[in-house]
Amino acid sequence: MSKDQTKEPIRKKWIWIGLVIIMLGIVPWYFPRGTEVPIILGFPYWALISLFFSLLLCGYLSWLCVSQWNIVEDIEENED
Amino acid sequence: MNLTFAGVDGIIILSSYAVIMLVIGYLAGRGKNLSKSMSGYYLAGKNLGFVALFFTLYATQYSGNTIIGYAPSAYRTGFTWLQSISFMTIIIGVYLMFAPRLYVISKRLKFVTPTDWIQHRFKSKAVTILSIFLMLWGLGNYLLEQLVAIGQAVAGLTGGTIPYQYAVIAFVVVMLAYEWMGGMKAVAFTDVMQGIVLMIGIIVFLIGALYLVGGNFASVTTFIASTEPAKVGVPPADATVNWLSMLLLVGFGAAIYPHAVQRIYSAKSERILKRSFSRIAWMPPITTGLVFVIGIIGIMMFPGLDTGGSEQLVGMMANEIAAINPFYYWVMILFFGAIVAAIVSTADSVLLSFSSMVSNDVYGKFINPEATEHKKVMVGKYSGIAVVILLLWLAWNPPGTLYQIFVLKFELLVQVAPAFILGLYWNKLSAIPVFWGMLSGALLAGLLTLTGNSTVYGVHGGVLGLALNFLVAVIGSYYASVSSAEESEAKEMTSLKIEA
Repeated sequence: MSKDQTKEPIRKKWIWIGLVIIMLGIVPWYFPRGTEVPIILGFPYWALISLFFSLLLCGYLSWLCVSQWNIVEDIEENED
Repeated sequence: MNLTFAGVDGIIILSSYAVIMLVIGYLAGRGKNLSKSMSGYYLAGKNLGFVALFFTLYATQYSGNTIIGYAPSAYRTGFTWLQSISFMTIIIGVYLMFAPRLYVISKRLKFVTPTDWIQHRFKSKAVTILSIFLMLWGLGNYLLEQLVAIGQAVAGLTGGTIPYQYAVIAFVVVMLAYEWMGGMKAVAFTDVMQGIVLMIGIIVFLIGALYLVGGNFASVTTFIASTEPAKVGVPPADATVNWLSMLLLVGFGAAIYPHAVQRIYSAKSERILKRSFSRIAWMPPITTGLVFVIGIIGIMMFPGLDTGGSEQLVGMMANEIAAINPFYYWVMILFFGAIVAAIVSTADSVLLSFSSMVSNDVYGKFINPEATEHKKVMVGKYSGIAVVILLLWLAWNPPGTLYQIFVLKFELLVQVAPAFILGLYWNKLSAIPVFWGMLSGALLAGLLTLTGNSTVYGVHGGVLGLALNFLVAVIGSYYASVSSAEESEAKEMTSLKIEA
């Protein structure tokens, strides 16, 4: 495999932009404070939204690991 | 944490766990002569498969403290503690910044410790010594915390039948014995057992707690909303800043932990490493996430506890759950055994990493570089025992709140991150600015903590130190004169070198 075909997460800018966006969704800075907090499915609504982004982060990182990272895998697998 | 229900049954379960760990350690080391090579003893021959690597990453990251300490945090802060899911997940994001390249370079150059990379990259005694110091300091504190926790958990589980000191000594001896026999291999294989019991334990504990509050989580939240509305309300500004700061501190700190880095070195292949990370990314919701729910339920079960009282929360809840019926009674005993096992499983990894750094970095680089691998391994083994004895002596005066010391150890350790990560990609990054960055960052973080300002407007001292560290290293390197020879040497060191 030539160097151009390898996949290294650090070289893909969109990965890190995506990560920052998800982090901004997780941290609850964008909700109005001091107002009545509706409770949905046992969670205050802001916590439910934050939880949604937290789970999105798990899925995103999990997917990145297997799909956007491939440097020496093919070489190693051929050695075996 | 006193469990009124346990006693002799707790001793039986704990002894069984201890025997299982010893058997695993014996089997891992049997007939392999692991002590002959550094990589064989400290990195399991760089040959860990998927199951062992996954569980050793899991059991090392999630200690018994994750339960004993995080449930009270959720109890005290309410829904804001949801952050524990995201700050444990973001660790994988930081791994993605450096692990792919570091894995390739570490295999090529046969690294044993994180310091091997720092030394190779910067070729500077000052940078090497400072980073060894920061990492050993962080690891030492971390190990101390685990030793304290072992004693508290065992004493609690046995209803004080086994006093705190004896409990610590007994489990430390077990840990040292299996680590002596099997090194990283024993640590990783015992982690499989320890990780599985921890996962099952958390789930059953949650089921029991939910049963006690009538099986309805929504009623818990409604109860909290009416009695302590601040715990369900939108967090105030400084709490959100603190949340973001936690993401940075834990993300960088936990990924850069020496024992975490050594797990990258230990992977058998890139495929196994990335698949393990991919699964670990899903563990926070079912570990810290469930512990968070347990802590929230605790608010309804035991309202109005002060800080000291809330630290006992898990034990108090376990007492209630064990009283439901004999099934829950036995599961609770197994669960507390699992907590002890989980603490041991974190402590063993930290200790192994500590030993490897003493033998490879301190002894092998500075005291006796000509020593044989076998001699270096033996120095590491003995110094591991020595440091445990020293820490035990300190542990007899355990600090009050677990969470505080957790933050303290990260602040210094995380200062190695810029050199470590930036050094992989930026060839202009040079030793002198890196040294001053690391030193000023560590001093700032340490001073803020020691003067009682562990956070400033919600930002952790460690994160402020990290920012200063990063700025000094980057600006300094920008203006430092690096000869083209040095830069091309750095390029050589950081390249992936994959044949076309």
